[in-house]
Amino acid sequence: MALFKVISGRLYQAFLLLVVMSLIGFVGIHSVGNPVYNIVNIETATPDDIRRATELLGLDQPLWRQYLVFVQNLATGSFGTSYIYHLPAFELVLSKLSATIELAAFAILIAAAAGTGLGLLAGTRPGTLVDRMVVIVTVYALSVPSFWLSMMLVLFGAVMTGWFPSGGRGSTVDLFGWEWSFLTADGLKHLVLPVLALAIPNIALIARLARAGTVEVQRADFVRFCLAKGLSDRHILFRHTLPNISLPIVTIVGLQFGGMLAFAMVVESIFAWPGVGKLLIDSIQLLDRPVVMATLTFVAITFVALNAIVDLLYAVLDPRVRISA
Amino acid sequence: MTTKDEKAPLMEVRDLTLVHRGSSGSTPIVRDVSFSLGYGQVLGIIGESGAGKSTIGNAVIGLLAPGIEQTGGSIRMNGIALETLDAERRRALRGGAIASIFQDHTSSLDPLMTIGAQLGETIAALSPDLPRAEVRKRAVALLERVGIPEPARRYNSYPHQLSGGQRQRVVIATALAGSPSIIVADEPTSALDATVQKQILRVLKGLVEEKGLSILLITHDMGVIAEIADRVVVMKNGAVVEQGSTAALLENPQDVYTRNLLSAVPKLRRSNVDVRADTPAGADGNPGQAECRPARDAILVVDNLSKTFGGKSILRMFGTEKPGFALRDVNIRLPRGGVLGIVGESGSGKSTIGRILAGLETGNADKIELNGKACDITYRGRGGGLLGQVQMVFQDPSSSLNPRLTVVEALTECVRATARSGDDRSRSRIAKTIERLGLQQAHLDRYPHQLSGGQKQRVCIARALLAGPQIMIADEPTSALDVSVQAEILSLLKETVAENDLSMIFISHDLAVVQDICDEVCVMRNGRIEDYGTSDFIFGRSENPYTRHLIDARPKIFTR
Repeated sequence: MALFKVISGRLYQAFLLLVVMSLIGFVGIHSVGNPVYNIVNIETATPDDIRRATELLGLDQPLWRQYLVFVQNLATGSFGTSYIYHLPAFELVLSKLSATIELAAFAILIAAAAGTGLGLLAGTRPGTLVDRMVVIVTVYALSVPSFWLSMMLVLFGAVMTGWFPSGGRGSTVDLFGWEWSFLTADGLKHLVLPVLALAIPNIALIARLARAGTVEVQRADFVRFCLAKGLSDRHILFRHTLPNISLPIVTIVGLQFGGMLAFAMVVESIFAWPGVGKLLIDSIQLLDRPVVMATLTFVAITFVALNAIVDLLYAVLDPRVRISA
Repeated sequence: MTTKDEKAPLMEVRDLTLVHRGSSGSTPIVRDVSFSLGYGQVLGIIGESGAGKSTIGNAVIGLLAPGIEQTGGSIRMNGIALETLDAERRRALRGGAIASIFQDHTSSLDPLMTIGAQLGETIAALSPDLPRAEVRKRAVALLERVGIPEPARRYNSYPHQLSGGQRQRVVIATALAGSPSIIVADEPTSALDATVQKQILRVLKGLVEEKGLSILLITHDMGVIAEIADRVVVMKNGAVVEQGSTAALLENPQDVYTRNLLSAVPKLRRSNVDVRADTPAGADGNPGQAECRPARDAILVVDNLSKTFGGKSILRMFGTEKPGFALRDVNIRLPRGGVLGIVGESGSGKSTIGRILAGLETGNADKIELNGKACDITYRGRGGGLLGQVQMVFQDPSSSLNPRLTVVEALTECVRATARSGDDRSRSRIAKTIERLGLQQAHLDRYPHQLSGGQKQRVCIARALLAGPQIMIADEPTSALDVSVQAEILSLLKETVAENDLSMIFISHDLAVVQDICDEVCVMRNGRIEDYGTSDFIFGRSENPYTRHLIDARPKIFTR
């Protein structure tokens, strides 16, 4: 009963989010311009062609009616067909998903591991050279804009040294109906630079978070009591400090992972990585409304789902949450 | 006791000197301290805050805070000087031969790990080859040894699921895991209720008697010393003032400081049974449902005040917790110009009453009248009529002052917030007020960290006064202070209330303090009023078993 209430609460929240996002997306695209001019061939099309295309796409209707039609189609499970690619919009989004997932997953795994490691390293030695280095370097890593970081990576990793390709997915392997790059050596090489571009700011973010948490937990009485019990520093660090600093880290990892899945467009564009972010930015430019709407819906669902997973992880990590909530 | 003293000492501390090396040079924390601890002996180190007693404990465990160094003297255990050992051998001693118990049971245990796992890791660290099942068996046995009910089931509990007393028992069990010969106990019972304190001390005493353990007991509480210590070392400002056997020292303290320390402890009077008919009507013979004296001379009337918890929270959604009562049908009459004491153990709801009456928390009541005017307590904020009229002094002065505001800034803020008209004489008014409270003009521009605990509490009282209240609520105002300061603050509160024609509600767990300052006393238990009457009635004639139990829980020497 109670669980049902929680789940229904979540679904309601997701539903509201979807309604708001769809409205913003709809009005936004509408106010940018008329997609018809991206669809017909401007040079050869007669005014008659344009009028016919407009009617065919339902663009002659008032906006509210267009929205109703969109909602009606949605009820039957369809986001409509892409104006540009002439493919069902949601399928188009799903087809880009594997590229985005492998990019984001690698980036967040590296960021979580490296960030937590650096944070623990710095936090257990506050005031030392290592600590100050971590604090300073992470500030720079956080303040550098994503496009500049990406271009520097291209410059050093691809242009000057030639170690890694500067763009594209490389050769892929088909698995579960999706194309995956990380299963081939060539694909892995292509992954390195974009993954780094996404991971570096997050390493910095997580390292700072982990450092702050570690400094605080190391001062806690129970850590002193562990020392007094005769436990080794290593044991205390991994069995006591790490679990106690993990809650904020899990939150940030969840949020940032969602952000990467949906909005890694800068990195995806620079590295010509055909993911969801790039699809979204391209579709907005082409005013491909069905695809934009499908992408935004996917984004909303992703965030709601990730939040639910983070909450679940809270309960796994912290018994106080588990038992009382 | 003499036989114990004749044995060779287990630990001998000679001329121990500890200094703090800071940026501004080094300051001695502990100077030339010597004492010895025999087998099966309990040695108490007593002193007020800043005496350096905890630092000595840390030196014995080998966990000095960063910046503190041992520059002289030695700590010898079984003839081996501990300071000559390397870090690894020192660590091997910790948890093994030298175990420790810390004060704060809420934070001594890792909140994310079951108590069984925490006990188990200690056992496993000391004997790494032990099979898991054996580790568990030993852990359960230890839990049983310290008196945890159903140890096998409790093994899987998390710290927050245990009561304060149980958590401290787990801490003791952990200390026992390495079969230590010395336990360094730093304020082991200070955070616990009197009755629980007594149980924990009994556990410790049992260990000394059965296992021949020695305990280095660090405390500020004479009662604890009197209860279990064989010998006492009295410390002041890092140096030993006096030491000797407990009985002798309590009977006949030699040093002035010790004498003051002893006389500052609030003592309970129980003999002078006064048979005048001074009992509020109905209070005797009908505890729990106590009726109060007529509302005529009461400034504050509270009828059937209740508060539930778990009301709308998600706790109930999961069905794990039924709505409970934090307070149930509490009736209070605060006599005009009088002091009403509310006593009870932690969780009895005494602080909740204070917070509701100060307008900081919501509750439900049939009637709340301040000066005959009805007040609304169902929402927080100014409209209810209580906020502002009722001012609070909280337990911990350090945390109730904003560390970034000077005294005058903090007080001005309060004057401005409550001023009827915008007068610019606030500084002089503030100065006058704090001078009445025993502070000087010079204190006005200091920050809280530049003041002592007692001075900070004076500032808190000034803040309450400047708001121009009719009622003052003091919630354990002296519990965070040293005994000698405690006495000063108490008499100050008493004077202040009388001088300013205030009425006061005084919330405390300390019966002696309540008896000292209050005209009427209300004993709380589990959110209900258990006993209610004049101070003389409660401490002299009340036959309520719970009241008697509370009175009996106090160490005997402090009942005269």
